[in-house]
Amino acid sequence: MFESVDDVISDLGALGYICDKRIATVVFLAQQLNKPVLVEGPAGVGKTELAKVVATSLKRELIRLQCYEGLDEAKALYEWEYSKQLLYTQILKDKVSETIAETQSLAEAADRVGREDSVFFSDRFIVPRPLMRAITSEEPTLLLIDEVDKSDPEFEAFLLEILSDFQVTIPEIGTIEAKTQPIVFLTSNDAREMSDALKRRCLHLWIDYPNEELEVRILDAKIPNVAQQLAEDVVAMMHKIRSLDLKKTPSISETLDWARALMALNSDGIEEQVVNDTLNVILKYEGDVAKAQSELAKILDAASAQEPEEAPAAEKAPEKAEAKKGILH
Amino acid sequence: MQARIVEFTNLLRKSGIRVSVAEGIDAFRALEELSIEDRAVFRDALRASMVKRGDEISTFNELFDLYWSGFYDNLRESFGDLEDQMGDMDIDLDSLMQQMSEMMQGMDGEIDLSELAKALLTQDLAQLEAMIREAAEQAGTERIENMLQVGFFSRRTNEQLDLEGAGGQLQDLAQKLAEMGMGSEEIEALQKMIQQLVENMRRSVKNFVERELQTRNHDYMEKFRKEMLQEKSFYHLTEDEITRMREVVNRLAQRIKNVLSVRKKRIKRGKLDLHQTLRRNMARGGIPFEVIYKHRRKDRPKLVILCDVSSSVANVSRFMLQFMYGLQEAFTKIRSYVFVSDLGEVTSVFKDGDVNSAIEKALDGGDVINVYTRSNFGRAFHDFWRDHLSIIDNRTTVLILGDARNNYNDAKAWCLRDIHSKAKNVVWLNPESPSAWGFGDSVMDRYTPYCDVIEECRNLKQLSKIVDQILL
Repeated sequence: MFESVDDVISDLGALGYICDKRIATVVFLAQQLNKPVLVEGPAGVGKTELAKVVATSLKRELIRLQCYEGLDEAKALYEWEYSKQLLYTQILKDKVSETIAETQSLAEAADRVGREDSVFFSDRFIVPRPLMRAITSEEPTLLLIDEVDKSDPEFEAFLLEILSDFQVTIPEIGTIEAKTQPIVFLTSNDAREMSDALKRRCLHLWIDYPNEELEVRILDAKIPNVAQQLAEDVVAMMHKIRSLDLKKTPSISETLDWARALMALNSDGIEEQVVNDTLNVILKYEGDVAKAQSELAKILDAASAQEPEEAPAAEKAPEKAEAKKGILH
Repeated sequence: MQARIVEFTNLLRKSGIRVSVAEGIDAFRALEELSIEDRAVFRDALRASMVKRGDEISTFNELFDLYWSGFYDNLRESFGDLEDQMGDMDIDLDSLMQQMSEMMQGMDGEIDLSELAKALLTQDLAQLEAMIREAAEQAGTERIENMLQVGFFSRRTNEQLDLEGAGGQLQDLAQKLAEMGMGSEEIEALQKMIQQLVENMRRSVKNFVERELQTRNHDYMEKFRKEMLQEKSFYHLTEDEITRMREVVNRLAQRIKNVLSVRKKRIKRGKLDLHQTLRRNMARGGIPFEVIYKHRRKDRPKLVILCDVSSSVANVSRFMLQFMYGLQEAFTKIRSYVFVSDLGEVTSVFKDGDVNSAIEKALDGGDVINVYTRSNFGRAFHDFWRDHLSIIDNRTTVLILGDARNNYNDAKAWCLRDIHSKAKNVVWLNPESPSAWGFGDSVMDRYTPYCDVIEECRNLKQLSKIVDQILL
């Protein structure tokens, strides 16, 4: 249990997840109010990771449901295990014939079998899927519904019952209520706007790219032996790259990869040659790399001409003005 | 506190952020769990429970500042520089206050100070804030509607506070202190300070009333701006509006895509798929426990776009292209052509993914045509007929965008006739109003017989309506 907002920050920090007060407040509220959290934001800012560390920190089992197009109830909630049912019927054939042995008519026999319905439609033959497991678990769990924006709109509607009441309805058995209330995280990359009904039932958390100070701290936490200067340089450069108009903006994990790569190359500073050689660690499209290269050359030139700190502001302004001119045309 | 949160919720609603009752209750519950001393935590709690869309966050932050924190900061500011305001007096305020409070202890009961006077003297800002809020409420400040009423409501609030009275009491106090033998220099300083305090209070009240006006009007302005954008003619967009319009277009495209995906699902069940059914049920001895149906696919249309990019209609072309490429998945294939007089294909410009820069490039002629000539629709259609007619089949929708102002050239309507006879349908979007079609050098009437749909398309609202029609 988290006792307070600051508690969340320190507990998650101990597990190597550096977060600001905004994130911590929402996590704390999710626990206190028993409400699902919808986490949105660009890819790679640690949305899934947040759910994982919260689970570890609260010592709850993490049950993860990865969403994709075409995901349906049978894969998310439960499924009848037909083949097992079939197998049981085969094995129990004798018993079944015994049961209906002294019946006179077909109707009577059917009634007899009908009475035994519940044997075949019971927990025994249900394959629980993640949602069901999260709800029926004896121990409180943490349910992570990942990339919910990838699922179909119908699936979203189906989630509503679970999210608001923590219960599921199986026609043959009845309504199953949660024994313990799971903490629920939903993540979304904003591929599509989630419905208002879903949003209403959730607390909302928008995680954006961290500011420079926070990102340096994240670097420190994740790569313990990183040199302070290198961390700062990498993060500063990263923020400049993010400000470019790229097809895929590099995320925190790319920052980490890049810092590791530079360390492996024994580079103690950011020089043009090294940067150019390692750009493909952070940028995944050929066009982006080309764009960044031409921009970086300018940035680095300016940086070496003046003191490094002043460079970004001076560099950004004309670039924006140009973009605007383009629109006007 | 509760009342204020309810009021804040209403304010959000009026500004166009949808906050349901359940979300309001969540906010209350959230605040019970937290200490609200910390403004940041307080703000985050409200935001997490009430504001769920990325694009609403900035509105929320603005309103939050306006409603919760801004005024206190302002109060602090106007009282904070008392020392500066008294600067030319060259007197130590702290020791003056010290001396005064010692003397006041001696005269107990002789002078009667109101709550406000006491709060002013001690500069208890939190108390002052609460008093201003209460007085403003009693003065009916929430009814304020325009700038002209600021003076009126400030006056009423001051009367409600009895600021005059408090000022008088304080001056009496100074008088008394003088009688008790305080030095004349100190008394002068004290009187000046009292004046200044009352003046600061007056200013804060005015500021509060102005804020009240802003909060009331915020929603009004914002809504106005959005409405405008939806209905504003493409001809008169400023640079800034074009940027904002891009986002609106993107959102609209997104919404239509969502609707499409739902509709597609509804019609997907077709005939029994024997092959799949057998395969799936092999584990059960071929007994068809699970029945698989064939998916029936609605044909996604092929789209051919012909865009007039002459300067008069460039903006309309821009948003239409953005819209269509925003909906790329809804079409099997989009081919786009631009023309002024010559016609050129720009499909490949869009290959690289960055739609916005591609559009700018296409509007610039995409390196294939010269945009600095005069419109000639007949020639463009003839070019298309000669070189590209073969790409049109009976599943192709041809979308033409232009004002049909042909500069008295040959209209060559027969080219469009041939295109029309091969295509599934021909849609013409004209940014001019229908009353102008066919007049002057407009040859719209010549092309009319060969179009299935002709729509006026001058603003975003019309554009999105048309897109909806084409797709469904």
